[in-house]
Amino acid sequence: MAFYITLLFVWGQYAPPFLKPNIAYIIGAKGHMYSRINEVQQVQNVDILFLGSSHAYRGFDSRIFTRAGYSSFNLGSSSQTPIQTHILLDRYLKKIHPKLIIYEVYPEVFCIDGVESSLDLISNDKNDIHSAKMVLELNHPKVYNTYLFALVNELFNINEGFKEPKVKHNDTYISGGYVERKMSHYIKEASKSDEWKFKKKQLTRFDIVVEGINRKNIPIVFVNAPIVPSLYHSYSNNDEFDQLISGKGKYLNFNNLLALDDSLHFYDHHHLNQSGVAIFNKRLIEILENDGSLSGIK
Amino acid sequence: MLFNSIDFAVFLPLVFILYWFVFKNNTNRQNLFLTLSSYVFYGWWDWRFLSLILFSTIVDYTIGIGLLKSEKQKNRKLLLWISILVNLGFLGFFKYYNFFVDNFIHAFSFFGSDIKANSLHLILPVGISFYTFQTLSYTIDVYRRKLEPTKNFFAFSSFVGFFPQLVAGPIERATHLLPQFYKKRRFNYAFAVDGMRQILWGLFKKVVIADNCAEFANEIFNHSADMNGSTLLLGALFFTFQIYGDFSGYSDIAIGTSRLFGFDLKRNFAFPYFSRDIAEFWRRWHISLSTWFRDYLYIPLGGSKGSMFKKVRNVFIIFLVSGFWHGANWTFVLWGAVNAFYFVPLLLYKKNRNHIDVVAKNRIFPKLKELGQMTLTFSLTTLAWIIFRAENVGHALEYIQGVFSSSVMSMPHFHNSPKANSTILLIVFMMWIEWIGRQDDHALNTLLIKKKRLVRWSFYSFIVFLMGMFMATEESPFIYFQF
Repeated sequence: MAFYITLLFVWGQYAPPFLKPNIAYIIGAKGHMYSRINEVQQVQNVDILFLGSSHAYRGFDSRIFTRAGYSSFNLGSSSQTPIQTHILLDRYLKKIHPKLIIYEVYPEVFCIDGVESSLDLISNDKNDIHSAKMVLELNHPKVYNTYLFALVNELFNINEGFKEPKVKHNDTYISGGYVERKMSHYIKEASKSDEWKFKKKQLTRFDIVVEGINRKNIPIVFVNAPIVPSLYHSYSNNDEFDQLISGKGKYLNFNNLLALDDSLHFYDHHHLNQSGVAIFNKRLIEILENDGSLSGIK
Repeated sequence: MLFNSIDFAVFLPLVFILYWFVFKNNTNRQNLFLTLSSYVFYGWWDWRFLSLILFSTIVDYTIGIGLLKSEKQKNRKLLLWISILVNLGFLGFFKYYNFFVDNFIHAFSFFGSDIKANSLHLILPVGISFYTFQTLSYTIDVYRRKLEPTKNFFAFSSFVGFFPQLVAGPIERATHLLPQFYKKRRFNYAFAVDGMRQILWGLFKKVVIADNCAEFANEIFNHSADMNGSTLLLGALFFTFQIYGDFSGYSDIAIGTSRLFGFDLKRNFAFPYFSRDIAEFWRRWHISLSTWFRDYLYIPLGGSKGSMFKKVRNVFIIFLVSGFWHGANWTFVLWGAVNAFYFVPLLLYKKNRNHIDVVAKNRIFPKLKELGQMTLTFSLTTLAWIIFRAENVGHALEYIQGVFSSSVMSMPHFHNSPKANSTILLIVFMMWIEWIGRQDDHALNTLLIKKKRLVRWSFYSFIVFLMGMFMATEESPFIYFQF
């Protein structure tokens, strides 16, 4: 074991990427998770906490909510499945102490094993007993190796001086956890018919997460953020997903609530561009204010 | 249960401990325990098909006893035919029923007749081709009076269901394996450690070589119409190493695991890609099946005796049947035929036993001539594997046409080529280790055996590290499970 970890560490540090396919330790990867985790350490008592996948951290603009009078923090991460949401809440919910949670639910995260998101978390957050449990649960060679590599890195403080740039490629990190994509427009492509195939373990974990939040008496609103309409309608069982989530609490599916244009409001087939985000967020605030979900929060 | 699964990683040590520490003083209890463990191992996949194994075990055990009591040749023959019909009946029904029905309908529709017959939704029971042949070998050998029929049911049920080789061989002969179940077993440390080494190498070949090659082979074969010649050639090479890593890896794990329990299984692979002609290749590839067909089909047909016509006919029969054994698809039959075509010239010119010994024995490097012979044999084998892997005969022919097109001179192009580079390096590593160990039973048999423990263990740890670093992230079943 000692030999394995030593070799893993040396190999992970010096081997070219094509020779380490099962180590995915990327500190400061796309999505600005490192900056978000750094910032969350200072955050306390916000009005709204956002959870979810890249649709969350690229879809809920903290500046728009601030302008509307609500403080917020976005704890979304790439392909975040309920397994990672559970860990993040265990670590930070008590400190953030939000008055409302907006939980972005994208059907795809219920259909995947959660490896990508766990690698993001292992690389950019501290590793504790929660991560160890997650690693065992995922039982994936890439996750084991990355976790061991991250532990050795933490042990020797290898990343102590690391600073993640605010602007990377076309992404800018905005205080509050949001990531703004440089304005661009999606060029429409045909989508093949498909079906969501939900994984039981993600649904079970989702229930546990929701129960945990309910026990703390924090209201939750589930939001299905808009994706390109042709992609959305290519899935035959969207109704099944709607039924599944609406049974857990207040649920807003913006694929049915907003009429957005493929090219004008998206930069790829499932992410809104800044124009789309502005429309989406304003409409969300409007609905939540009208139905009283935001009353008494300001 | 897959050898490369967490379930098996828990199952094996548990069975090992109970076998050696709880049941060590009683061979019958050890056999009973092995039978039950084997049924758990098999039932993990689908417990319903345990009834087939149990039925086959009871039938052949009873027939064995019947053969013991019966002296009349007529009765003995009848008992043998009952065993053959029961065993091949199950195999034929589960494996070939749909194939024959579909081809029957197709043939009649060709002549304008509209036949109504339904294919059944049959699940092929894992390992049926292997344990059927194993039990048949028992009945045939008892019938031929080469083996005393057993009265010990637990020994016999362990022999039929022995979990290390139950689902994908090696196909054991009753004359070799069954007597081992009668003997009192003593734990042999050196034997078990060698088994561990063989398991390690087998796992490396499976999870690193076969599963990584599978990713590229599948991508290229599944989209072959869109690929250029060089990519198709690369796809064929990836499949060539996939099937070797997969099947020889499985055999190594099976043989190594058996050694942990004190059993010696037959060798199934003897570094076939270092063969200098096709005859040598077939003496080194899936040895337990080749020798089964040799002893129970080829020799009864007359083997290489008789007229030239008979010799050639026998070669074709054995290769076609062997191809068809692999699956209910014309591709396997064609693959068998192609190998027969490769083999026949060697037989006609009496060169089929030219290369009995290992290549470059006691030398580090092969001679240039040997290298040329190995390259030619490897190329012919790769060409045949295209037919084996293709979805149907049309696909195989199109694929081969693509390989021989002018675009074979252009650069290969497919998804995730950096990972393909690391996979190629790993294949080179595997072949290098196998070349060093080619004179032994398996690649790690004596490798570094005279070096200090630290050196040996560092090397084994390095292989474990390579597995951790490069193992394919999708757990995939062994190819031969489907046969």
